[in-house]
Amino acid sequence: MSEPVKVYVVDNGGQWTHRIWRVLKEVGCDSKIILNTTAVGDIDADALVLSGGAPRVAWESPKLGNCTDYFDRFQGPILGECVGMQLMAIHFGGKAGSSEIPEYGLSRLKVVEEDDLFRGLPREFLVWESHNDEVKEVPNFAVLAFSENCKIQAVKHLNKPFYGVQFHPEVNNTEHGSEILGNFVKTVKARL
Amino acid sequence: MFDVEKFIQKTVKELKDKVKGKAIIGASGGVDSTTSAILVNRAIGENLLCVLVDTGYMRKNEIENNERLLKKLGLNVLVVDAKKRFYDKLGGVVDPEQKRKIIGELFIRVFEEIARRESARFFVQGTIAPDWIESGGGLRDRIKSHHNVGGLPEKIEFEIVEPLRDLYKDEVRMVGKALGLPSELYERQPFPGPGLAVRVIGEATAENARIAREACAIVEQEIERAVAKGEMIRPWQYFAVLLPCKAVGVHGDVRAYGRVVAVRAVESLDGMSAAYSKIPHEVLERISVRITNTLKDDVSRVVFDVTNKPPGTIEYE
Repeated sequence: MSEPVKVYVVDNGGQWTHRIWRVLKEVGCDSKIILNTTAVGDIDADALVLSGGAPRVAWESPKLGNCTDYFDRFQGPILGECVGMQLMAIHFGGKAGSSEIPEYGLSRLKVVEEDDLFRGLPREFLVWESHNDEVKEVPNFAVLAFSENCKIQAVKHLNKPFYGVQFHPEVNNTEHGSEILGNFVKTVKARL
Repeated sequence: MFDVEKFIQKTVKELKDKVKGKAIIGASGGVDSTTSAILVNRAIGENLLCVLVDTGYMRKNEIENNERLLKKLGLNVLVVDAKKRFYDKLGGVVDPEQKRKIIGELFIRVFEEIARRESARFFVQGTIAPDWIESGGGLRDRIKSHHNVGGLPEKIEFEIVEPLRDLYKDEVRMVGKALGLPSELYERQPFPGPGLAVRVIGEATAENARIAREACAIVEQEIERAVAKGEMIRPWQYFAVLLPCKAVGVHGDVRAYGRVVAVRAVESLDGMSAAYSKIPHEVLERISVRITNTLKDDVSRVVFDVTNKPPGTIEYE
């Protein structure tokens, strides 16, 4: 058996940070939760998942620590979740801010492009959300999925191995959630 | 995947290395504390004492039943009647966080008294992941102060041991099962540490706790009966909440003006997200009729909660 890939969870203070860690282990990764203030040089992971969290992206981004540094200097794939994706969009020239209609709990995801994250999954399924903010504009990324009240639910960078999801694949109520995280891990393995 | 046997081996070894001499555990008879008790018992045997506190906010017949169940598992059990102390401290308190903090502190004071008497330096709790996650800290917002984490006082006399801290309820059940707990224990539905005090919205008086206790017992009995008859599958958690408002009714041609009870039932794996249970209307109707008839002097109306988590939480406070 080959060595498991190391996918670490960067903690932005989410309620489901520890769930991401659990699901990554369930899909066969070596994982641990790290502070978002960890220096990029101290991270020996193959890939990162940035958790969601309570900080509001428009005025509390200092609370997201070194996350933007990871976009510039981390050598490997990154999946940004919720505020992690919002920060990623802004960092690469996009916009994010308060949702006109936020989503809490149940929502229906519509996949427009299967790409890596949604490989082998249905075009429509139920997901769990918990966000006050959302991505409004996202140049340099392809939009992979949307929902009725949030037009940018999943993205992929056009030439870097960076992905983002607004919904929460790590939550048990999300359909196909561990498959989505598993698909992300497959992209990590494919690069090694 | 979660490797149960490996977890048990590793945890018992760590407990053997860490816990020297006597220890007490806050045991409620629930899945988390009972599983913790068995793990610690495997490590230190007779040196563990299970302290079952009667807070006055336990469910119907729960103290007697749980004392019997724990003793049957070969554990040392001490029941402490602290009803009056809890009722007194919570008198006039309506803020949910204040209630939780008072309960957390009083629990610790009771355990400290026992620990002193027993010369125990270690205090074991059945804390699991959602308890510390939802209690917040650092970047993480506080959703609610779980009595065993966010409700702890600053100064504590003993060292706290939490063997299940990184597990969720479904994983704890797997550990409990592997340790040989009877299914009535490891499949038991979750019950919050502060008990019925957080199922009474507003002041948790003895009288309000009595109404919530009766309503919870009816919800449990009717749902379990419907499950036994094959009308529905057993929800992850199911209970009643006494709301702090009143509604008008009519009882035998006479005006009634009584409290409102909410029926709450959810499907979940780990308590970190949940969907409300789609209970058949016939079952809800039986619950409603029984609550309003048997608690006629207290409750005039029953409502059913259709909120998921998020945006709701499972309990109300």
